[in-house]
Amino acid sequence: MDASTLTLHVRKNGAGVGRLDVMQMLSGVLLIVFLWAHLMLVSSVLISPKLMNAIAWFFETTYMAQVGGPLIGLLIFAHFLLAARKMPWRAQETNAFVKHSVMMHHKDTWLWLAQVGTALLILVMAATHMWVVLTDLPITAAKSAARIQSGTWLPFYLILLPLAEIHVGIGFYRIGVKYGYITKANRKWYQRLENYMMGGFITIGLLTLIRFLFLTV
Amino acid sequence: MSRRLHIEVFRYNPLDPNSEPHMQSFYVNEYDSMTLFIALNIIRDEQDPTLQFDFCCRAGICGSCGMVINGRPGLACHTQTRDLPDHIVLHPLPVFKLIGDLSVDTGTWFRDAGARIEAWVHNDHEQFDPKAEEVRMENDLANEIFELDRCIECGCCVSACGTARMREDFLGATSIARVARFYLDPRDERNEENYYQVIGNDQGVFGCMGLLGCEDVCPKHIPLQDQLGIMRRMLAIHSVKGILPKRVLEKLQHKGCCHESH
Amino acid sequence: MQIIYSDLLCIGAGLAGERVAVEAAKAGFNVTCLSIVPPRRSHSSAAQGGMQAALGNAIMGDGDTPDVHFADTVKGSDWGCDQEVARIFADTAPIVMREVAHWGVPWNRVEAGVHTYYKGGKPFEAEEKLEKHGLIHARAFGGTAKWRTCYTADGTGRSVLNTLDSMCLRYEVGIHDRTQAETLIHDGENCLGAIVRCLKTGELKAYLATATLIATGGYGRIYKATTNAVICDGGGQIAALDTGLVPMGNMEAIQFHPTGTVPTDILVTEGCRGDGGTLLDVNEYRFMPDYEPEKAELASRDVVSRRMQEHIRKGLGVKSPYGDHLWLDIRHLGEKHITTKLREVYDICTNFLGVNPIHDLIPVRPTQHYSMGGIRTNRDGAAYGLKGLFSAGESACWDMHGFNRLGGNSLAETVVAGRYVGKKIVEFLKGHTVDFKQSAINDAHAKVAARIMEMTKSSSKQESAIQLRDEMHSTMMDNVGIFRNGKDLQKAVDTLDELIDRSKNIKLQGTAIGFNPEISLALRIPGMLKLAQCTAYGALMRTESRGAHTREDFPERNDKDWLNRTLAYWKEGSTRPELKYEDASPYFEIPPGERGYGGGKIIAADIPEEKLRLPKNSAEKKKAKQTKKAS
Repeated sequence: MDASTLTLHVRKNGAGVGRLDVMQMLSGVLLIVFLWAHLMLVSSVLISPKLMNAIAWFFETTYMAQVGGPLIGLLIFAHFLLAARKMPWRAQETNAFVKHSVMMHHKDTWLWLAQVGTALLILVMAATHMWVVLTDLPITAAKSAARIQSGTWLPFYLILLPLAEIHVGIGFYRIGVKYGYITKANRKWYQRLENYMMGGFITIGLLTLIRFLFLTV
Repeated sequence: MSRRLHIEVFRYNPLDPNSEPHMQSFYVNEYDSMTLFIALNIIRDEQDPTLQFDFCCRAGICGSCGMVINGRPGLACHTQTRDLPDHIVLHPLPVFKLIGDLSVDTGTWFRDAGARIEAWVHNDHEQFDPKAEEVRMENDLANEIFELDRCIECGCCVSACGTARMREDFLGATSIARVARFYLDPRDERNEENYYQVIGNDQGVFGCMGLLGCEDVCPKHIPLQDQLGIMRRMLAIHSVKGILPKRVLEKLQHKGCCHESH
Repeated sequence: MQIIYSDLLCIGAGLAGERVAVEAAKAGFNVTCLSIVPPRRSHSSAAQGGMQAALGNAIMGDGDTPDVHFADTVKGSDWGCDQEVARIFADTAPIVMREVAHWGVPWNRVEAGVHTYYKGGKPFEAEEKLEKHGLIHARAFGGTAKWRTCYTADGTGRSVLNTLDSMCLRYEVGIHDRTQAETLIHDGENCLGAIVRCLKTGELKAYLATATLIATGGYGRIYKATTNAVICDGGGQIAALDTGLVPMGNMEAIQFHPTGTVPTDILVTEGCRGDGGTLLDVNEYRFMPDYEPEKAELASRDVVSRRMQEHIRKGLGVKSPYGDHLWLDIRHLGEKHITTKLREVYDICTNFLGVNPIHDLIPVRPTQHYSMGGIRTNRDGAAYGLKGLFSAGESACWDMHGFNRLGGNSLAETVVAGRYVGKKIVEFLKGHTVDFKQSAINDAHAKVAARIMEMTKSSSKQESAIQLRDEMHSTMMDNVGIFRNGKDLQKAVDTLDELIDRSKNIKLQGTAIGFNPEISLALRIPGMLKLAQCTAYGALMRTESRGAHTREDFPERNDKDWLNRTLAYWKEGSTRPELKYEDASPYFEIPPGERGYGGGKIIAADIPEEKLRLPKNSAEKKKAKQTKKAS
């Protein structure tokens, strides 16, 4: 405890907020990397279901899925807590921000609202997805295909996939902006990159879903 | 050529208990090279002498006439009507306290922000020796400092900032760019810890959400988001000093007004 | 009524006002600055070019000294300046530039090595010295023998103002923006402060102070075509003139800037010509060398403006719906130069004129720019007539500019005078106490309140302030411009007589609770008419041509009769000022002579021998200084 917690009239020393910001950024980066890697691995089914099964077997025998899975869940939750510090929880704030976005008709401002919205949905849906998958190990192409073909899960993934990719794509771009890597000079280029990557990953994801849909179990 | 402009202006006089916020329409004939400065003065001279708005230099140098023009904060004096549709909607800048109609109190806001970031060169001012030669400086550095000194404090960036709209204690891009100006200036003897105390919080650099509104509306085209990035990176690195190895941190460190290549 | 007390009240918070405020605050006094706009919006911020100071760092300013600067200033003033003041100015200017550098001004610096510069549109190479690398650089400005204008790109006013404002923050100067001083509080002998109208609420407040400084800038808004900001309406001069005790000096000395743009009257900096921009006529022919073979575009402002007007009158101007104009050509300076060193110019052209100066010519004409005259002060900045009243900057007639000021000298004057006068005010505050008479405060308040009441309520009045303003504008433009003659000036004086009478019957058109912008104009117009009359009447009476004051019917400079300064007093109820005259300078370190540009005949004066020398004590001081330097 220092004097600044006793009274507001003593200057606060210490690294607090900066570290929180760094952790938010790092957790975001890790999740971006994870999600892209995850998608690449799952999409291995496009090449052959056997390849996907082999990859899944590798992650399970090394216990990376059993341990890593819950850790990723925790990471998502931690990232949410850190980022939620900026969310407009008060009605007054939401109101102000929405009005502001409408007034400005400015893309980057709208993108943030998109990120807040997707974040809340992802939190619920990703948890559901993880519960379903991790309580029913091992992961195999056949089981995944069965889930997709069962009916209710297809719309679920058709929503979760773009939500996750949009959130991650915007997040990637915004980390670059906030930390000064994306600058006035190269912003246009990064915006295009962000769009291509989002489009690319969503396409791969959709193809994967289609493959599962038509995979004979 | 000659259009008849429909100018819709926000009207409200907070001092008049009978005044209700509303939009009022005025119609003005457009002339060649007409700016909103000319149009609003015609309205005040010929149609409503009580209309409140602020102009001073009318040349885009003083920053008095920031207002929301068809949804975007900008300077009215250098907005040419020919670049706008014939229906023009004018609102006062949000965030700042409304004085009346289109006029807002930016002076108080900026002075408060200036005091919070201690916006002056911190050195021993009494030490000036009138007989001595000036301390030398590289011309390139002088130019970079001036690049950030070009801010006219019009308030457009603050009004275009989603964070500032939600949280009234946010310092905004203008204040952080001002700190960046002092950070760049070797005459300012403050160290990173000193800067951290001033803007290393959610009211300062870590409150920025990278919405880029500030940079996109800045009438002086100051690279505001770049400054925010530089300061955020510097202060974030400062906060994890001792955790990450020094060599890595130094590599990430980055100083300057405009961007050197990475 | 709210009463606010301070040791020093600065009316105006531009460069001069803030510099004085900083000086007093540093000495521990309680200072309040009043300003119509937040201080950083003051018109000082619009000054692009630079500040003259004989630092002699740049290779083109090599060998420069305050003596050369002093000589340039005196010649520029057409010997109308107070040479004692001009000397103080030239000697202190280098120190002040270094001081503001110490406080944070990012002056452009010397870069050793060979650089390409321009003179008269032609490039040449010069090598900056290695031993000067990193010291304050300078650029060329009109009417100077050396390059001595210190600059920060094209935002000198902006960067120095930012720095001084930051010092005000640092030394806790009270800034009360959106306030307008309506009248001075005085007891006939001492100035006690001012009655101030809050421009947020319309409320009247009394600001009491032991010393009061007026630093409100010029009064260019008495002209229609002026480069001055909307707020440069002479508020400070009006408050001083209205006391009936404080005279205005040389109000007829009005400078026209050669390069106001058409049609918006926004100034493009003299730096354009300093860096090599040229003036072209309708045939895109460069005409200035024909008139001024040596200095061409870089002769002093009065000369260039006059020559431009002369050329337009020959029918060689470019016709436009907004009147005839000429062209400014900076295309040959190249894109890089224009978008960095002259960026403000680039912005103005593209944003306000729809012209791209990299490829197009810029339409320009001479436009009212600067008022050399103002509140007459002694060399300490103390106004004549009231104790405790000071003035500095453009609002004052300190008088280092005489009948024409050099580009870069006015911006430098703000901080140099600010520092000098600031020190004098500190001395004054240390040795002075004043009694604040309740009756004086109430009288001043009642006067302003009654004026507002009358124009709001009275039913017998019907004059419109806007109408009066427009009539004043056209009178001043048509009759009191660059070229003046007895007939037109008489017409102006007669019209202004009538307008001043009518201004007693101003009636507001609309009503609003709280702040009403119309009241601001209505309160200002009668005073502006008086300033206009001081200008017109002073010009009518001065039957000679000197500096910016050009009489077609009296083309010669008449040192025999007119080597003096006009002092205009205003007695209440009158429609004309009462004119008195005083010697232009207490002594002539440089005796009246040829300027070396501008031409014209001179009627020589008989100046007594003792006035052609430095007075004894200052001569001795100077000698002592020189011997000290030599040893």
